[in-house]
Amino acid sequence: MNKVIRHPKQTLKSQTRLWLLLVSFLSFLVQASTIEEVELNIINHLFVPAKLHLMANKKYKLKIINQDNTPEEFDSFDLNREKMVFPNKITHIYIGPLSVGEYHFFGEYNPNTAKGKIIVNQTDSIQGDKNVN
Amino acid sequence: MFKYYFILYIFTYLLFCTTAKADGAVVDKVYHPYVLANEQELEWRLMSTKKHDRNVLAQRLGYGHALNERITLEGYIIAERDDQFSDFSWQAVELEVRWMLTEQGQYSADWGLLFELEKDRILNNWELTTGLLFEKEFGITSLTINAFVINEWGSTLKSEMEFESRVKYRYRWRPALQPAIEIYTGEDFIGIGPAGMGIIRFDKQKQLKWELGFITELSQATREHALRFAIEYEF
Repeated sequence: MNKVIRHPKQTLKSQTRLWLLLVSFLSFLVQASTIEEVELNIINHLFVPAKLHLMANKKYKLKIINQDNTPEEFDSFDLNREKMVFPNKITHIYIGPLSVGEYHFFGEYNPNTAKGKIIVNQTDSIQGDKNVN
Repeated sequence: MFKYYFILYIFTYLLFCTTAKADGAVVDKVYHPYVLANEQELEWRLMSTKKHDRNVLAQRLGYGHALNERITLEGYIIAERDDQFSDFSWQAVELEVRWMLTEQGQYSADWGLLFELEKDRILNNWELTTGLLFEKEFGITSLTINAFVINEWGSTLKSEMEFESRVKYRYRWRPALQPAIEIYTGEDFIGIGPAGMGIIRFDKQKQLKWELGFITELSQATREHALRFAIEYEF
């Protein structure tokens, strides 16, 4: 295959464009703001609470505490998230902003017991098993 | 505010697109910037490109292992059919490192880096690829963009820097079936076509992931068609 040897100017152009891309990348990072935290426990292969009520169009940080001595993997196609939670460890998952609706999640290691859902409402007036810190 | 960042990103990406340059097969996997801790995978990929005078066929077999929550390492054996269609043998080996830079969903977009080092089996030729991986959710759809800078050198190669990009816009319809559109740019190559991927779960971390794409070249009168197929068994 014949190779095209690029002029140093072309190489410089490529590098400049790469830097531009990196700058845009950094601009994405700096706009991160404070995110409200919501706690979710794993106890005896169950998610506690099994239902979380959250507000629409808002970003949340899900703090998952695995109190079991075995690993679990948080999985949700609805939320587009998948993350390992090691035994007796804490991990965080960022979700949202979400539209109004229900978003199911489960534990890949114990799919029959470790099940739950996030119910997203338009307002913050939901009571009951709401668990926002 | 996000709109301005997004426009800036697209503008920057288009700058890349306009002068994309790369030698090898442009149509290949579109990488997501995510790593799952503890995950191991076996991967098989097939790339078949119909050029105006011949057909180029390449396959690769890989094994990957997540080193921690952020970094995964994968090794590949790459096999290609020669131009005379007489032999199909392994041509190169490759080592790949994927690094998840940001936590998924923490910022407006998710970012990762990719490093690949490929060595020809017989000739002393090398290829080093560094790539920036981007993914952004838009409701039930996801936009994934890969931008690669490629350096080649060796006994029969002249040192050069090249550029490739890959774009996938995916509709997360069902786990097993997620239709997508893919766009590729490379050396004198711009291609677009339908694609799809899906995940079939078995037990615990065991799952089968498939990807399929059919890409048609737009940049030349003699259209190339590329078919790519990949199966990953994750465990």
